[in-house]
Amino acid sequence: MLHIEGLNYAYPDGHKAIRDINLDINKGESIALVGANGAGKSSLFKLIVGISDISQGVIQVDETPVEKKTLKDIRRKVGMVFQNPDDQLFMTKVYDDVAFGPRNELLSESDVEKRVTDALELLGISHLTDRMPHRLSGGEKRTIAIASVLSMDPSIILFDEPTSFLDPKARRNIMNALGTLEMTKIIATHDLDMALDICDRVIVLKEGSVFADGKVCDILLDEAILSQCSLELPLCMQRCKTCDLKYFFL
Amino acid sequence: MSTISDSMNTIHSLEEMAEAKTIIHRLHPMVKLITTFLYIVLVVSFSPYNITGLVVFLFYPVILMALAEIPYNPLLKRLIVALPFSFFAGLSNIIFNQNLALMIGNIPITYGVISFFSIMIKTVYTVMAVLILIATTPMTQIAYQLLRIKVPKIIVVQIMLTYRYISVLLEQVSNMYTAYILRAPLSKGIKMKDMGIFVGQLLLKSFDRAENIYFAMKCRGYDGDYIHAKPKALTQQDWIYLLGTVIVLCLMKFFNLSQFIGNFI
Repeated sequence: MLHIEGLNYAYPDGHKAIRDINLDINKGESIALVGANGAGKSSLFKLIVGISDISQGVIQVDETPVEKKTLKDIRRKVGMVFQNPDDQLFMTKVYDDVAFGPRNELLSESDVEKRVTDALELLGISHLTDRMPHRLSGGEKRTIAIASVLSMDPSIILFDEPTSFLDPKARRNIMNALGTLEMTKIIATHDLDMALDICDRVIVLKEGSVFADGKVCDILLDEAILSQCSLELPLCMQRCKTCDLKYFFL
Repeated sequence: MSTISDSMNTIHSLEEMAEAKTIIHRLHPMVKLITTFLYIVLVVSFSPYNITGLVVFLFYPVILMALAEIPYNPLLKRLIVALPFSFFAGLSNIIFNQNLALMIGNIPITYGVISFFSIMIKTVYTVMAVLILIATTPMTQIAYQLLRIKVPKIIVVQIMLTYRYISVLLEQVSNMYTAYILRAPLSKGIKMKDMGIFVGQLLLKSFDRAENIYFAMKCRGYDGDYIHAKPKALTQQDWIYLLGTVIVLCLMKFFNLSQFIGNFI
């Protein structure tokens, strides 16, 4: 479904953000992309959706290479939810924001309405349809940002830090929402507990390269791998400092 | 700080007003655009020395505000922002055009004074008409109608994006100002020596933010065409309003209703 081969990317100042990444991601996989700040998670996302230009290598989505002439097709297949929902939501009504993508696909207004209704219903936020995005809470905005991508019916969704800045309840709501999505999900996150909860594969990036790639249990329980990448065990896997007992065990 | 918040609230409150469901809000956006445009053209086309003819045109904004249930205060406050420009433009007329027009008692009234009031009245009317249009019609629908009447796409897109980015810019200013003032509690604002850095940083951050918004739009299929929901076709009610308003406005322009009403008094 998503094939990345020999991918390299350098910023205009010459700093290499992505170094020789090779990946294959299959349909329906739920993948956590983890790594320290500056490890290249967001840069990789920008390359996949064609916001940044590939310096060297190939990215293919369903065998369609990411190139200037295929960007429309690629962005129909790959949706991206930005870290800051305020960057994504800019219309006056939730409905119009969720309808923005389908309208750009030139769908009929009845099809647009169906897409919007389906996306909002799937995430359980139909009651927000006529609200103004700037009046909503952080968690609601985040959910609407997801709906605004979901309405484009993509086969892959990239999530950039979907649970950052959220209170526990809003975080749980987002996690539940992500859990209900059946398409391929790639989630860039520092929230390893969430990764443990909803992902089945983890890719660890370090200095722009893939440092580790494997099943969630294998990677997120490996303290050595995590510490080398400035990460820690998920909270639920850490030992209690007082009684030295594990809180949970997989 | 409160000024920045006020400005943000102003933008948002106009958008909120536009989502109401009164009889005026339900009218077709094209009808509102045409009547507003006609009103502005008729008001502006009055001779600078004809104030009596202009007086009856006050009915249009007053009736619309009543029907659309738009509160007077917020709109009048926004109107005040536009007045200084026409005030100073009109002031020059008072200075340079001192030909005597009439005497009220012993007070001489020059053509300059009359044209000063004419400019001020025209400003109030036209700005009110535009504010009422914005307060009763969502910006996206206005933009769509502008495209339909063949306003160049590039201009409409610029209007829409500028309108969106103003709130982004204000939000950025608000955040930076708060961060500044919390670390400079004795300062009554941004010190002049810090102003250059503040504005420079604001520019860079705004670029960054605007770029992110643009990327988010691109990811959802935006390629320069702002696609809007098409409003429904004109109803009988829209046609009646359009014809009625056009007839009344033309009557007000081409017959001196003030004089006509005055004859009965």
